[in-house]
Amino acid sequence: MEVSEEPAPGIDLTPRAAVPTAARGKKKPWFAYAVLVLVLAAGGVFVFNFLTNAIDYYCNVDEIGTKDGCDVDRNIRIQGVVDKDSVSQEGSVTSFVITFNGASMPVILGSKPTGLFQECIPVVVTGKVIEDDNGDRFFEGDEVLVKHSEEYDAENKDRVATANGEAEACSQKD
Amino acid sequence: MNTMTPPTSTPAPASPKHPTSTRFTRALGVASLVGIGWLVAFGLFLSPNDRVHKTGVRILYIHVPSAWLAYLAFGVTGIASGLYLWKRTRSLMWDRLAGASAEVGVLFMGITLVSGSLWGRISWGTYWTWDARLTTTAFLFVTYIGYLAVRDLGGTHQQRARRSAVMALLAVLEVPLVHYSVKWWRPLHQNETVEEGKLSGLMLFSLFVGIISFTLLYVWLVMHRQRVLALNDQVDDRGLDVALAARREES
Repeated sequence: MEVSEEPAPGIDLTPRAAVPTAARGKKKPWFAYAVLVLVLAAGGVFVFNFLTNAIDYYCNVDEIGTKDGCDVDRNIRIQGVVDKDSVSQEGSVTSFVITFNGASMPVILGSKPTGLFQECIPVVVTGKVIEDDNGDRFFEGDEVLVKHSEEYDAENKDRVATANGEAEACSQKD
Repeated sequence: MNTMTPPTSTPAPASPKHPTSTRFTRALGVASLVGIGWLVAFGLFLSPNDRVHKTGVRILYIHVPSAWLAYLAFGVTGIASGLYLWKRTRSLMWDRLAGASAEVGVLFMGITLVSGSLWGRISWGTYWTWDARLTTTAFLFVTYIGYLAVRDLGGTHQQRARRSAVMALLAVLEVPLVHYSVKWWRPLHQNETVEEGKLSGLMLFSLFVGIISFTLLYVWLVMHRQRVLALNDQVDDRGLDVALAARREES
């Protein structure tokens, strides 16, 4: 087929600048770049804090002195259930006993616990195990966080159910 | 290099009175409102207090549905992005669906983080801790904010679609990481409640009301938002058509 190299009458084929579609240049994407920088910075902060926090070993009470990393005089996080009738408060110091798998540990906390802290509830305490001259150990805590289980139960079932629930929560120490 | 924007898939019909709505979306909007009304009734008044959390348990009816909806939204973004990258199904419609779903997902993830933080204060005693579930959730949230920023970096619709689709396919890999973080680490965050059957009666029903009404709201928001994105693309393309018409008039 023969193609004419002559332009069709009335059509200007002079080269010209690119058509300015809104999709390509409607605005400078500096805001998007700024958001990306912030996102990268935030991601870095998250990873750093997570890893820094993960340095502290996470130990159950029965693992103290037996599991690697769960040593005396080392910053750790310890998990156990608060013993019934063990919580006492003197000024800003709170003391209680936590138990897990039959092993117990007295805890001295230099602050007042918040959240759902109460007897018979699982907690995670940050701090270190101290051994006194007599060889007795206690946990010097900086912070206590309540670790609630995934179970939920209606409050108004009846008093017996509540009592059973508490007994069950505290039975972990036996 | 071809600098012209090829025609996009046909956007939804629009009228000045109802720019992005149809009879279906209006019905969906009403259903969402009714669902949220039910959620308020069951979540705040009809469901009982928890034995330990007391009235604080009601945050659960917002927190869990919004987290699940964020997962769903990011999953839809991933699937739509995959469909865009696959040559046989390539259409800007998938890109706009991915973008709209990610926007709504970020909204729900934000609600998840705020409600979770309030829950943490009531339950654990702190608004925030660098727990595995919390950290991975926050990471997922900023990843999708980054995804939305990447969509706005400029270029043609196709360039936007291609680069954001690749990022969405990478970002969606974080979702299982967040979900299983409670099993893979020893976090403060509790394990699954619904999957383990640890919730029952009106409390479980209220949670399902939340999930259903939030899902309806998600579909409604995504439909409207992807139509707005289609109209935006149409405006962009119209810029090209106007310039071409002006050029023709010159000659």
